[in-house]
Amino acid sequence: MPATKDASAERITAYLDAELPDDEVAALEAELAEDPEALAEVEQLRRVMSLVQSLPEIQAPPDFAEKVARRVRRRVALGADSTWSLVSLSFQVLSIIVILTVAGLYMMAQLEQQPTGIEREQIPGTAPDDQVPAPVEP
Amino acid sequence: MPTPAPNLASGEPLADPEPDPGSGSEAEGSSQPSDGPSLDREAEERRQADIRDRRLVRRLRAGDQRAFEELVRLYQHRIFGLMLRMIGNRQEAEDLAQEVFITLHRAIGQYRGEGRFYTWLYRIATNTCKNRIKYLRGRNFHRSVPVDETPEAHDPGDGGPVVPLQARIAGPEAMTEGARLQAAIQRELAELDPEHRLLIILRDIQGLSYQEILNITGLQEGTLKSRLHRARVALKERLAPHLA
Repeated sequence: MPATKDASAERITAYLDAELPDDEVAALEAELAEDPEALAEVEQLRRVMSLVQSLPEIQAPPDFAEKVARRVRRRVALGADSTWSLVSLSFQVLSIIVILTVAGLYMMAQLEQQPTGIEREQIPGTAPDDQVPAPVEP
Repeated sequence: MPTPAPNLASGEPLADPEPDPGSGSEAEGSSQPSDGPSLDREAEERRQADIRDRRLVRRLRAGDQRAFEELVRLYQHRIFGLMLRMIGNRQEAEDLAQEVFITLHRAIGQYRGEGRFYTWLYRIATNTCKNRIKYLRGRNFHRSVPVDETPEAHDPGDGGPVVPLQARIAGPEAMTEGARLQAAIQRELAELDPEHRLLIILRDIQGLSYQEILNITGLQEGTLKSRLHRARVALKERLAPHLA
């Protein structure tokens, strides 16, 4: 938004909110009297503000305060056992490390046991358990 | 007012906003057009509320849980109302409002008592709300439940008598027409950019002063005014078909 428009927006907002100094109010009203379009815009804004201002207030649920108090009590109780929370956190981290280590070792063991594809590709007759027919006695 | 921008990413209140010039006896609250005696009365009510809040905060910092419960009771409707109008989902709004008070309980040690207590509380609330909106956007959350506009969902509270929209529309169809318009306003408000929505809620619905909003949002005064203007124009354009 250009600076002049910004300044104008600020003045109109202050005017609608009754925050504009008296001398500036008179100047702005004189300007608006010369500009029916701007005046209509200001009047529409005033109407919208009036409608919005008349929206009823919303009430919190009746048990809201009690729920908050309960959550705070729980938090305070947990806070008293903060040492346990830390132990619990360390335990969780340790557990994850152990699980990952065991999984890694298992996978490595599996890889060692399984021959690679190249190893599995056999040349007929070269396999150690290939049954080479015994020479026939003449 | 060079208030540092709140830490929106963390949602932590961190520190008090700048002291409010009106936290003493000077009137600086809602500047809806009103007469002199009314302003004096409002200023006095604010001063009393500030004294009461300071006392409750002192007790809470000393570990008095009843002071905390009292603060929750005092501000629950405003904070819940802010959340519901911002998020548009009752359950989500309730969870968020609870979060705000739990953060208050946890962070009360960071409140130095220089600014007004409830400005600080609103700061927590707006940060919490913005963070949740960002999170929900990432999850493609859509408002599934419209803001409840049934009469039992509302209460004039401390804000004085509420003039329902129905009362502004004469005739036998007043109730239906008023309810329809009310729902339309809420629906169109919900479609605004969250920054615009927040300003309209704080200023036009909850009646906070410019100074209070500056302290809550960390905006510069000129930015606040021009942004508020854009928000109102956007809402006016959205409401045009309903007002024709």
